[in-house]
Parts: sequence; C-alpha cells; structure tokens
Amino acid sequence: MNARHARYPFFAAAREAVGQSGVALGELVTTDDPAVSRALERVERALMAGTVESETPGEWSARDELLSYPVARILVSLIDAPAAVRKYAQAEAATAYDRFTDDFQSTDDGLKSTGTSTVELGEFLTEFELTDDVRPESDTQTAGQPRKDDPYRVSLGTYLTLVDPDWGDRWRLVNREVSEGDVRITREELYDLLREAVRRQVAEGLPFVVGDDAIAEALSAEIESLRGLLADRKPVGRIDTVVPDLFPPCMKQLLERAGRGAELDHHSRFALTAFLTGIGMDTDEIVAVYRDSALDEEEIRYQTEYLRDDSGTQYAPPSCATMAAYGDCVNTDERCETITHPLAYYARALDDEGERAGNAAD
Amino acid sequence: MNRRTREYLRGRFGDYYRSADLTLPPAADRREWGHIPWTAGGTTMVRHQSLLDVGDLGGFLARESPRHVYFSAARYADPGANEMDDKGWQGADLVFDLDADHLPGVDPDAASYAEMLAECKDALLRLLTFLEDDFSFSEMEIVFSGGRGYHVHVRDESVRELDSEARREIVDYVRAIDLDADGLVTTRSERGTTRRVLRTEGGWGKRTHEALLSFVEELEAMDDEDAQERLQEFDGIGEGRAKTILGALQRNPDAIRQGNVEAGGPGLRLLVDTVAQGVVAEQTAPIDEPVTTDVRRLIRLPGSIHGGSSLVVTRLERDDVDDFEPLRDAVPERFTGRDITVELDEPAAVELGGETTKLSAGENAVEESVGVFLMTRGAAEKARE
Repeated sequence: MNARHARYPFFAAAREAVGQSGVALGELVTTDDPAVSRALERVERALMAGTVESETPGEWSARDELLSYPVARILVSLIDAPAAVRKYAQAEAATAYDRFTDDFQSTDDGLKSTGTSTVELGEFLTEFELTDDVRPESDTQTAGQPRKDDPYRVSLGTYLTLVDPDWGDRWRLVNREVSEGDVRITREELYDLLREAVRRQVAEGLPFVVGDDAIAEALSAEIESLRGLLADRKPVGRIDTVVPDLFPPCMKQLLERAGRGAELDHHSRFALTAFLTGIGMDTDEIVAVYRDSALDEEEIRYQTEYLRDDSGTQYAPPSCATMAAYGDCVNTDERCETITHPLAYYARALDDEGERAGNAAD
Repeated sequence: MNRRTREYLRGRFGDYYRSADLTLPPAADRREWGHIPWTAGGTTMVRHQSLLDVGDLGGFLARESPRHVYFSAARYADPGANEMDDKGWQGADLVFDLDADHLPGVDPDAASYAEMLAECKDALLRLLTFLEDDFSFSEMEIVFSGGRGYHVHVRDESVRELDSEARREIVDYVRAIDLDADGLVTTRSERGTTRRVLRTEGGWGKRTHEALLSFVEELEAMDDEDAQERLQEFDGIGEGRAKTILGALQRNPDAIRQGNVEAGGPGLRLLVDTVAQGVVAEQTAPIDEPVTTDVRRLIRLPGSIHGGSSLVVTRLERDDVDDFEPLRDAVPERFTGRDITVELDEPAAVELGGETTKLSAGENAVEESVGVFLMTRGAAEKARE
C-alpha cells in the first residue's frame, strides 16, 4: 500500500494492494477501524459537498485512506438509493480530477520526481485502456510546456461513449472537427473525458448486494445517518423571492456569521448554501453573501452548481431535525413551532407577509 | 391483391429462394429474425425468432416463402425471447437508412420511381463521404433496400455498444442539426496577436474551408473586374468589402489556405457564412433518424425479395455503387425469360430491366419480372393463364 494507491483507490493496482494486504473488510467494520470512520466521512462529503477529500487529511494514514474506498462502496451499496450511487460516483470523479490535474501538471513540469504518489497522463490512459484511442496531435507538444489548449485526437467511439451531449453545445459532435475516425479535443477537454471515465469506473457494479449480514449490522448506524442526509434532500418547489428579514432564525444566524467572516463548518455552510439556492438565489448572489467569509469562492460555486443538480431538480437544505442535531437550530420563535423545515418557515413567512400586503392594498 | 395473385407470388418467391444463395449476416445466431407472410391484409410480422427457431434459413425461406424478411441490427444472448428486456442486448450494428420519402425536394407523388431512386443514390454517395472520410468506418455493408432507398450497416466494434443518444449525435452530425455556424470560425491567439481562423481539421469547418478554397480558386482564375463583380453578388458585400477581400487574397494567398480569415475583414467573414450555409444545404444526407437511433430495430435481409416491389435487397460492393441501377440490377433473374398474363384496371408504363414496357387496361402478356413488379406494387392482378 502506498500513497499513490491512496490517491487513486479505484486503480487496478490499488484494488490488488487491498486484496494482497490480507485485510478482511468484515473485520474492519466490526472493529471500528479508522478506515471505517474515514469511509463514512468519504460518503458524507460525497453526498453533501461533491468531494470525497477529507476535511482533516492529517488524521488519516495512507492505509486508512485506501481501505476507506472499498468500505465506502459497501456503505453506498447499503444505502441502496440511486441518488446515493450517482452523487458518490460524481464526487469520487471530481476528487480524482483535482488530483490528476495536479499530478499531470507537476510531472510535466518536472518539479516532482515521479513514482511515489503522482501519476502521469500516459499511466492514466493505460489504466482506462485508452492508450490506442487518445493521442496528442503532434509529437512535439509533449516535449514543451503543456498548455490547456494542446490538441489531442480521440477515437470517435470513445468520444461518443464518454461525452454527454448535455455538457453543452461545444461537446455536440456536429460542432467538432471530426476526421479519419478521430474527434479533435483540447488537453483540458481530455481531462473532462478522464473524469467521466473515473465516474463510470466508480459507478460500475454499484450498488452491489452485501452478502455478509454481520457487515450490514455493524454499519447500521452509519447507514441510518447517511440515509438521513439523503432524505433531507427531497426536491422542493422553487421560491423566487429573497427577503432576508423573513428568513428563519437559524439561517439569519448563519448568514450573520458568514457576513462577519466567521468560519462555518461544512454542515452549516451546506445548510445555508442549500437554503439560499432553494429560495432561488443564483450562484453569483450566493458567492456575494460569502464575500467577507474566509471561504474559497470556487468551492462555493461548485457546491451551488451541485445543489442545483444537472437535471434541474433542486434539493432542499437540511430539515429542522438535522439543523438541531448539528447545533444550528437557534433562536427559535413561534413560527418554528409550526414547521419542520427551514424552507417551510420561509414560505409561510412570505405567505403571511403577502396576506398583510394584500389586505393593506384593499 | 386477390387470392390468385397472392398464391402466385408466394409460389414464385419460393422458387426464387430455392435457387438463391443467401449470405447470412455475421453472428446470425445471435440476431432476432422476423418475417411477414403472404396472408390477406398481410402486414402482421412474425418476430422474436432465433435462428434456432427458424432452422436452416435457406430451407425456411424456400418452405415459408415470406413476403418480407428481416433481421435485427442488434445481437442478443437470447434472440428468441418474447420480451425485449429478456433478450440480453449485446450491441448493435450502426444502421443508416435513406428513403426517397424523406428526401427534400422530391415530391413522391410527382417524381417517377426511377427519379426518386437516382436522387436517393446521390444522397447515399453524400452519406458515404461522412462514413468514409469523417468517421473512417471499415466494416460497412451497403445495401439497396429493395424499395425506395439504401441501407448502410456499419459493424465496426467501436460503434457497436453505442446507445441511442450517442447514435443521435452521429445523425445530427450527418444532417448538420444544431450546427453552430458561428463556431466554425474560432479566435486563436499566437505570440500576443489574435486572429480568426476556420476550424479546418475536420467536420463542417473543414467542409466549409474546402468549399471556400474552391471559390477562391474560381476568383483567382478571373480578371480583377470579374472577381469584383462575382463577390458583389453576395448580400452584404459591396465594392469596398469586395476590394478588401481581393486585396487580402492577393497579398497573402497562403493565409486563407491555412484557414486564416482575419485579413479579409468583415466581408470575408460574411462570405464564409454564406459558403457554410451552401455547404450544409448541399452536403447533408437526409438519413432517417429513428432507424439509426433505434438499437433494437429489424432491417430487411440482403438477398431477400422486397414484397412490395419484387426487387432484390441487394448488397453492393463499394466500387459498384456508382454504376448500380436498381431497376436493372435488382430485378430477380429468376423472373426473367418468360411471359405471364396480368390484368390491369388502368394503363401503365413500367421502367424495368433497362426497358420501358407499356401496358393497357385489361389483360396483358408481359415478361414475368414486369408482371411481378406490378402485382407486388398492387397495380395488377394475376390473370388466368
């Protein structure tokens, strides 16, 4: 087991390393191994933040990191919901994308010595059996400084298999330079295809039937909490009015903390972002809310896009129960007694306000 | 079609199949088979059959003598299963269908059968430029459908697993559907300067570039005054813009050959737009989308007879496409060399086998191929001999 296996746990070599380590997954989960805690975090982060990167990377060894992957797959299988598989595979792919783009950059720069934890583009292509289907347009470019618009050629079948036409007009085959069975793409676009290849690899075989009842039993508490996260995210109708005065107390509080630059932990950040998305604020507006906070703009953008979801469905922020569980349910008022969800609070507040305005107009 | 006609045709189709040597498609035992028998009304398809159900195909066709014969573009683990979901899909040929019914500019009521077929062959040749040059498919079977068009079966392994959505991308490419015409020209920055260039490395950009270059060659062959006039025929290009374009072409003729359209100014970019529109109008092939995107479709079997025309569904070698004349080359030889008597309600003229045969209303003795052609098309009945 090495650092590279930990970074790319879906690689064949990593899976082999797990196999050869002699570690029995059944034993791991029944002994509360740290790998199980990391696996839980892995799936939680996947469902809530679109990444599987740990919030506390220093806490885990390469072994924990690597073993958390097969355990995470068990967890996702036990949750047994299509949305869980979809979000999880997307998050693994997003994290892999961040890692391999870093790796390709550094190996190309010659800044790091290769071998230990980083991976080169060629190895990545080999891993996904794409060596024959992807090639740089000219040999000379591999020598020089890599640029994001370096041209590559990818075989038609592979292009059509990996690309989803919904990614946008520029991905449509009709708008591509297609010649002699190849589609022309840039280096940057090749990375998008690789992310999709990872997503498919991770989703492959999920969910599977976990045959060992002892495993399911040992993980029942984790599964319940993960299902809770998923259940909080039922689609809701859109509310398109933004009146901060009418926000529920919990959101007012989070908004106020973000406004004065306080650090929000990821549960709170997720709750607020999802709430703001839920009431119809767009990405730029939400980024502006966090302007004074210490948070990374890119991450907020990502989270907002992710919450909006590609199918156009929208997910609700955590329910009152979950807010309470994370200690974010504060300053409750009378209206809180009548609702179980922050969005319901806001919808009711808007209704009451509308009624009052309507009466006044009469 | 009356009973006597139907029985006559069924008998003669059987004679054809007894002497025909049909080549099965690859992996025939993993395909679904279907046929439509010669029954009154006769459009009920018997399908969900495997080769195991059918037995030896040649024997089956000779015995059953069906009106139409089909096989699936898809391969299945269990092709004989009655429910599609139980068959176990294992990939499908990528099939293209060109039908005179879908050709723009062809009025099926006004055009003759021969005219429609000629138009369709032009469309086939256009389709083949995409399949050969753009996609470089290597395992292709070109087939005259026996009816009003052509099929191309692509069996390259790289496309067999594609789903409907991916196949739709191929259809849209060939038909230039949703083509972003502005996107054909891109802005490239090099050494601090930006310039507009056509995307010449493939696709619709390359096709546009080629058409533009042949237009430029046309201009270069003219004297200045004629070239000026020719350019000013385009909407939006006046004297000034025409001068700029010509000046740029003369100063740096290589630039446009490399796709650089910066120096020609807005006039040249307007010209590119117009050329692109012309290229799309002239080079698309009107393939029938549902046939290509349906990964479980049944397709007519090459070598069988089309029951609505009596013509043979004919496999074509690539080199033979140019010279192929369906109304001469797809007439079953079995039906030539003897006369039969048919009865018509209305007079008719038939172009078949390289000749035009004129028939009057009532009984006519004609070569069998002409009689069978009319009967399968519902324009004649078999007379008592």
